[in-house]
Amino acid sequence: MVQTPPPALAAGIEKFVFPGETEPVLAGISLTLVPGSLTAVLGGSGSGKSTLGRLLAGWLLPGDGGTLTGFFELAGTTVRFTGTAADPQIDPGRWGRQVGFVPQDPAGALSTVRVTVAEELAFGLENAGVDRASMAGAVRDTAALTGLAHLLDRDPATLSGGQLRRLAIGCAVIQRPAVLVMDEPFASLDTDGAEVLAALVRNLAQDGTAVVIMSQRAEPFLHTADTWLVLTGGTVAATGTPAEIVAAGALEMAGVIRPRPLTVARPRAGVDYQSAVNGPTALELRDVSFTYRRTRRRGWFKSQPGPPADPVLHGLSLTLDAGEILAVTGPNASGKSTLLRHLNGLLQPTAGSVLVQGRNIGGHPAGQVSRDVGLLFQQPRDQLFERTVEREVRFGLGRDGLAADQAVQRALAAVGLDHLAGRHPAELPASQQRLLALATVLARRPSVLALDEPTVSLDGPGLDRLDRVVRSTTADGNAVVLVTHDLDYARSIAHRLVCLEAGRLRGI
Amino acid sequence: MRLHPLTSLAAAGSTAVITTAAASWPVSLTVIAAAVGLSFAQGAARRMLPAAAVILVPLVLSLLALHGLFFPEGTTVLAQWGPARVTAQGLQFALERAAQLSAAVLVLLLGSFTVSVPDLVAVLSTRGVNARFAFVLASTLTLLPAISSRLERIRQAQEARGLVIRPGIPGRVAAFRWQAVPLLLSLVEEAGTRAAALQARGFGSAGPITSYRQVLDSPVQRWARVVLLLAALAAIVFRLWQPTAGA
Ligand SMILES: Nc1ncnc2c1ncn2[C@@H]1O[C@H](COP(=O)(O)OP(=O)(O)OP(=O)(O)O)[C@@H](O)[C@H]1O
Ligand SMILES: [Mg+2]
Repeated sequence: MVQTPPPALAAGIEKFVFPGETEPVLAGISLTLVPGSLTAVLGGSGSGKSTLGRLLAGWLLPGDGGTLTGFFELAGTTVRFTGTAADPQIDPGRWGRQVGFVPQDPAGALSTVRVTVAEELAFGLENAGVDRASMAGAVRDTAALTGLAHLLDRDPATLSGGQLRRLAIGCAVIQRPAVLVMDEPFASLDTDGAEVLAALVRNLAQDGTAVVIMSQRAEPFLHTADTWLVLTGGTVAATGTPAEIVAAGALEMAGVIRPRPLTVARPRAGVDYQSAVNGPTALELRDVSFTYRRTRRRGWFKSQPGPPADPVLHGLSLTLDAGEILAVTGPNASGKSTLLRHLNGLLQPTAGSVLVQGRNIGGHPAGQVSRDVGLLFQQPRDQLFERTVEREVRFGLGRDGLAADQAVQRALAAVGLDHLAGRHPAELPASQQRLLALATVLARRPSVLALDEPTVSLDGPGLDRLDRVVRSTTADGNAVVLVTHDLDYARSIAHRLVCLEAGRLRGI
Repeated sequence: MRLHPLTSLAAAGSTAVITTAAASWPVSLTVIAAAVGLSFAQGAARRMLPAAAVILVPLVLSLLALHGLFFPEGTTVLAQWGPARVTAQGLQFALERAAQLSAAVLVLLLGSFTVSVPDLVAVLSTRGVNARFAFVLASTLTLLPAISSRLERIRQAQEARGLVIRPGIPGRVAAFRWQAVPLLLSLVEEAGTRAAALQARGFGSAGPITSYRQVLDSPVQRWARVVLLLAALAAIVFRLWQPTAGA
C-alpha cells in the first residue's frame, strides 16, 4: 500500500459566518493540501473564494473576523473551532510563516512602511530576524524568479498594475512557505508574466510546496492542477480532477469563465482601419510624450528629484472616431494606464497634445475634461471612496436631485447593481466593485469611455454586463478605448486592436 | 554624504537647546539664518517654511502683544492706552524671545524635514528597541506620507468624476472639504486590512528583528553625536548655574 504523505494543510469548514450576519458565507468545505500539489479553487463572483483564501492564510482570523465551526490542520497540529469564546486563537505571525498569501488586491499585501521594492520583499524576513547576507541573497533570487530584478530600487507606490502583482507574489514566496495561497494571481499579468508565474508555481510544487490558486477563470495553466474545487454560494459544487469537472459541466453552472474560443472571425485591420461608424473624431493624440518625474522619498514627504526616468510615452499618435471601440494591449509597464490618464487630463503630456472633440485639453483641469471622458481605473479601489453604492454613483452629478436620481438609477441598472444601492462599496466582492466603478463612469454619460483592464475580476455574468454596456454606449455614438491583456476578449469586441510598445502604438 | 539620522537629529536637538539656553539675540539670529539657508540647500525650504510660518506667526504675535504691551519694568514709554503701555524695553524683550523661539522651532523643523524617515525607522528598530515600539514608530513616522498619497488617490478619483480643482495649493485647499470624510473613512478601513497583512508577515511579533536597509555610520559621526549631547547638557547646566546669563 502506498502511504500518503501527511497534508501540509487540511481544513474542514462546517460553517463560517461574518460578524453581524446570519447566513454563513462558507459551509461544508473540506480541503486537503498535500505537499507538492496544485489545487485550484474555481468559482464565480461572490462564491466565497477570497474568504476561503483569507481564512486559510490567517488573514481573516476566526473569532474577531467571524464565527467558525470546523478545524485546521497545519504541519501536523490540529486546531478546532466550535464558534464559542473558548476557541483557540491563531497567531497570524506564526501561521504566516507556514502559509504564504497573495491577496486579490496586490496593494493589500504591501507593508507601506518600506520605500523600495527590495525592502518590501525583505520585510517578512526582517521580522523573522534573518541576517542581512541571507536576506540580500533571498531578495536577489526572488526578484529574479518574479521578474522584479530591474525594479529593486523603485518605490512600490509607483509600480504598474502588473509589477505590483509580481511584487505581491514575491513577498509571499520569499519566505518559502510550506503552503502558498494565491487569489487571482493571473489578473493583470501579461503573457510573459503569466508564463513566469506558471513556471514559478511548477518549481515550488516540485520543491514540495502545496499551492492553492483561487480563480474565476479556468486558465489553461490551471488544467495542469491535481484537483479542482468548484465553489458556488460558499459551498463545494464539485470537486475532482480538471477532466472530471469539465466533463460534468460544473464550470458553466458556477459562472466560471473558460477562456473563450473565437466565435466570429471579425475583419482584422491595423491602425489605419476606419471604423464602421466613421463618425467625427472623438479623440486625438498628437505626438504625445510623457516621462514620470522620478522622486525619491526622503524626509516627511516625497521631494528630492531622483535620476531622470525613461520616457513612458514617446511621440504617440492616435485618432478615435465616435462609435469606435479601440483595444490597447501591450506588456506590463508599457504605459497603458499612463496613456489612459492622459485622456481625461489626470496626467499632462510633457510634449504633444490631446484633443477631445477637437478641443485641446492642455491646461484644463481634469475635472473639466472628465465631463467628456470617463475613466475606469485599473484598480476599483482607487476609484471608490464613498460610504454607499448609491452615494458613490451620485458623486459629482450636480444639484438637480431628480435628474441625478434618474442617472444613478440608470447607471446602476445598466451594471445590474440596483438591488445593492445601500451597501458599502468595500464590502462588495471584487467583480461588483468593478461594475460599481463602471457605473460611476456611465452615470456621467461621457462621450469617450476609457476602460483600464475592465475584464479583470469579472465573472461570466459580469462580463456579459460589460459587453452590453460597451456595445450600447458605442451604439449611442460614443467612443471606447479599452486596455486589456485578454486578446480573445479584445478581438471579440473591438473594431481595432493596437499594441503599446516602446512608447508608441502599433497595429496588430 | 548622507548624515546618519541620529546625527542630524542630535544636531538639531542640541542646537535648539543651546540657542534657548544662550538666550542671546546674535546667537538666535545666526541660527535662524543658518537654518533657513540649510533648508534651501537641502531643498526642504518649500515644505519647511510654510510649516514654520503656521507654528511661529501666532506665537510671535502673542509674544509681541503680551510683552510689548504689558512689561512692568519698561521705562521708555512709546505709547499708552489706559493700562497698556508700549515700552521700548518691552518690545526689545518680546523681539528677543521671538528670535529665540523661532531659532529653536526652525532648527527642529529642519531636522525633522531633512532626516530620512526610512533610515530612522531602520536604525531605531534594530537598536534593541522593542518590536512593538518599532511597529508603532514605523507606522507613526510613515503616517504622513501614507495620508498624503491616499489623499492624492481620492482627489484623482474625484477629478475623474468631474470635481474641478484649480491647480496650485489654494485650489487643493479649497477642494479639501470633498476629500476630508472619504479620507478619514478610508484610513480607518485601510488600517484594518493593513493590520492583517502586517501581522501575517510577522510585523509586531516577538523575537529579534533585523533590517535590510543599511544605514551608514562612521566613528566621526558617533563622536559628533556624543559631543553634541554633552554640549547641550553643558548649556543646560550653565544656564541653571547662572540664571541671568545673557538676558
Ligand atoms: N507614479 C509613478 N511614478 C513613477 N513611475 C511610474 C508611476 N506610475 C507608473 N510608473 C512607471 O511607468 C511605467 C508605465 O506604467 P503603467 O502603469 O502605465 O503601465 P501599464 O502598461 O499600465 O502596465 P500594467 O499592464 O502592468 O498595468 C512603468 O514602468 C511604471 O513603473
Ligand atoms: Mg496598467
